[in-house]
Amino acid sequence: MADVVSPTRPSPLGQPVPRLEDARFLSGRGRYVDDLVPHGTTYAVFCRSQHAHARLTGVDAAAARAMPGVLAVLTGADWQAAGLGSFEVWSPVRSSDGRTIEPQVQPILATDSVHYVGQPIALVIAETLYQAQDAAEAVEVGYEPIDPVVKPAAALEDGAPVLHPAVGSNLAYEVHVGDRKATQEAFARAAHVTELTLVNNRVTANPIEPRALLAQYDEGTDEYTLYASHQAPHILRRELAESSLRHPEHRIRVVSPDVGGGFGMKVANHPEDPAVLWAARVVGRPVKWTCTRSEAQLADVQARDHFTHCRMAFGPQGEILALEADTVASLGAFQTRLGASIPAQFYSRTLIGLYRTPAASCRVRGVYTNAPPVQAYRGAGRPEAIYVLESLLENGAREMGLDICEIRRRNFIPADAFPYATPLGLTYDTANPAGLLQQADRLFGYAEARRRQKAHNASGARTRIGIGAACFADCVGTPSKIMAAYGRKKVGGWDSATIRISPTGKVEVLAGSHSHGQGHATAYAQVVADRLGCAIEDVNVIEGDTARVQFGWGTWGSRSTVTTGMAIEKAAAQLRDKCTRIAGALLECAPQDLRRTADGFVTAGTDRQVTWQQVIDAAYQGGALPDGLDPGLEQIVIHDPPDRATSSGFHFCEVAVDVGTGRVTVLRYTAIDDCGRIINPMIIEGQAHGGLAQGIGQALMEDCVFDAASGQPLAGSFMDYAMPRASDFPFFDTGVQETPCPSNALGAKGAGESGTIGALAAVRNAVVDALWDLGVRHVPMPMTAARVWEALRAAGAGT
Amino acid sequence: MMDVELAVNGRQVRKAVDPRTLLVEFLRRELRLTGTHVGCDTTQCGACTVLIDGQATKSCTVLVAQLQGRQVTTIEGACGEGGGLSPLQECFREHHGLQCGFCTPGMVMAATDLLRREARPTEAQIRHQIEGNLCRCTGYHNIVRAVQAAAEKDAA
Repeated sequence: MADVVSPTRPSPLGQPVPRLEDARFLSGRGRYVDDLVPHGTTYAVFCRSQHAHARLTGVDAAAARAMPGVLAVLTGADWQAAGLGSFEVWSPVRSSDGRTIEPQVQPILATDSVHYVGQPIALVIAETLYQAQDAAEAVEVGYEPIDPVVKPAAALEDGAPVLHPAVGSNLAYEVHVGDRKATQEAFARAAHVTELTLVNNRVTANPIEPRALLAQYDEGTDEYTLYASHQAPHILRRELAESSLRHPEHRIRVVSPDVGGGFGMKVANHPEDPAVLWAARVVGRPVKWTCTRSEAQLADVQARDHFTHCRMAFGPQGEILALEADTVASLGAFQTRLGASIPAQFYSRTLIGLYRTPAASCRVRGVYTNAPPVQAYRGAGRPEAIYVLESLLENGAREMGLDICEIRRRNFIPADAFPYATPLGLTYDTANPAGLLQQADRLFGYAEARRRQKAHNASGARTRIGIGAACFADCVGTPSKIMAAYGRKKVGGWDSATIRISPTGKVEVLAGSHSHGQGHATAYAQVVADRLGCAIEDVNVIEGDTARVQFGWGTWGSRSTVTTGMAIEKAAAQLRDKCTRIAGALLECAPQDLRRTADGFVTAGTDRQVTWQQVIDAAYQGGALPDGLDPGLEQIVIHDPPDRATSSGFHFCEVAVDVGTGRVTVLRYTAIDDCGRIINPMIIEGQAHGGLAQGIGQALMEDCVFDAASGQPLAGSFMDYAMPRASDFPFFDTGVQETPCPSNALGAKGAGESGTIGALAAVRNAVVDALWDLGVRHVPMPMTAARVWEALRAAGAGT
Repeated sequence: MMDVELAVNGRQVRKAVDPRTLLVEFLRRELRLTGTHVGCDTTQCGACTVLIDGQATKSCTVLVAQLQGRQVTTIEGACGEGGGLSPLQECFREHHGLQCGFCTPGMVMAATDLLRREARPTEAQIRHQIEGNLCRCTGYHNIVRAVQAAAEKDAA
């Protein structure tokens, strides 16, 4: 035993610890799916629909099968003949009148009809990628085109083409949330009513790593292995086992190595997954499919795509009396596993944000249109909701002559009113809205910015400056019970962690989440190091492999810290308790009399100590353990959050709008994030930056454009789909407020989506503010130069 | 097939290649240097950026056959002495200039080229230099900070 008692190791919680995973990414040693090329790899290329809506009159693969290097051409008929399955919706949305309209899922490979450009019809497997590409061109597909449904609002028009005749119309569900009667009564006595018609543009996630698959089949063990760039490997495995491939789940392994971004898109069920895995069995060799970017623009699930009439009722002092929204949300051509519930639940229930709202009502109609299916994308329903809410609030303020900060102060839910039950069925746990505004103002300098704006806009300059804001609440980590109440019949709200302290004192964490940029390897190590008192470098976080990690739901919806992070916290605390009991036995004292030092444990008030390694040795040898303790140091914990954690935030945006050209430039952007207690502030700040960039990108430039007549996608590559670039942004001013979450020991909430949730509305409001005096009341997204210029022309102010 | 001889990360490489082979395919498939990534098919994303004779170049738009006798540096060759991180790479780590890591090699190579030409680039010069490199995670904020920090470190 050491003579000198060593000090306690300082806690890494709350510290900006540089990421443990960075060195391999920075030196080219990351491992993404396309980097893997086992011996004998073959290549798959999909033959995709060229029409948005058509009956298939035939798929002739004979010529393709005869091409050089071709090993197989698999069609929908082959899939059916093999007795394989289809997708399943895990969260069917029941209409408020009690009807459940049978959800329509896409076939793995189309047989009779196609419903969007890019829908998979066949796949070719060949020795080389080029041979597979050439052969895919030779697959002959007969089409009888049908008129497509392009815009969501058109889906419900009389005489609209019907995508799925079995359903009878394009309506997938109609859901009402809130109190319609109370809302209408509030409008009847309003001093002022603001109304808007808003389109939330269809966008796509576009992680820089496109989806990629490497599939293998072992005939001897009857085991499939799928390497997939995916956010939730266990969800994918269950789906393959239960629905599409219908193979015993314990004979399927899904591995997601490093994942180059996902943003929700890589949670979705895509037909390529089962198709490529099956192909590996058919050809008896590894099959690789790496999506090209232009292919991703057709084949990845997309997001948003709402059409909304909305209005807000105000009292004489600008107090919100009621909010009403009527939304048609495109689900795309088919429902994904979880996508339909995003507009029905996550959008509709978020609509009141951080404002006291006595009455609210929302109708959402989910509809089918001839476009790729809609799924979660950063924010998933909440950016759409806050866009509605905050556009109404600021237009209302300007119409009534109220300042945009003043109207918010008058309407904020007071900090002491939490927990706050909203009229839309959520209960916020904690927040401090006025504090958020105060902090944001401190960074942004609102009054000074207004003075500068006034002087600039009066100077006769060609640009006009505008200032807008937005704030929001976001409930993350939905408990399993609430998931069930929402009809998410196959999705739990919990997550899992196993922690193993090895015989030499190194710590392995098997986590049910899956990092795709969020820094879990570091943030989780910080939690473990704090609770166990070990060095961060001695902790290795393992995720993304169904053969190594116990079941977990993956990473999406800002959930990882409050679910998996909490499972890790509990497991580490339990192991620490066990180690403390062992140390107490070795030192012959009560565990509560021990203090953890950097090296081990010391009996309080003495120099009697054991080292950490001695405790571990005792745990593994087993002979000296006190009664009731089993040998070994391994703990699994499943954590189901007892309540949702309410994140919140406040954004200010300042733009310059060139009145001559319509070009919008973001001059300044301030965002305050309240994600509860912070584990790593550097990572939180990075999450804010990335979220803002995606929100600003949607607001100003990104758009999945489809030809109105043919339904052909017009943004088919990075040449046409405007991705935000470094020169599109200023530095962001970000800050935090820490209102701890009361329902978990870390005090943590969610952080991943906050930047995006506020950004659409803040940028929109800033642009409208710049042009308000010229008569502009709204500019639809994306607010490109052309759109702004058109809005100016329509207001009679354009040149 | 044609023979091509060039230096990759300081090592002479001689191989027979199909004349249509792109440099990025040559690096990833023939040499198994998988740190150079492919994020698009229209020369927009910059994930495949390498240095050719010191100049940042998108390797998806160069035929390896054009590179007879030239020097190519990939992310694997951009590390510091002993295979550790270079000062620029260290700055990316310290300033959290990467999240998912997929665009990172291209960003590092583009920034390497800028710092070779401009010892103290302005924010605008940095943003202009990496305009051809897309990142979906960071909003570019910390990438620009990392490059600024590297320039400052270099000048110190």
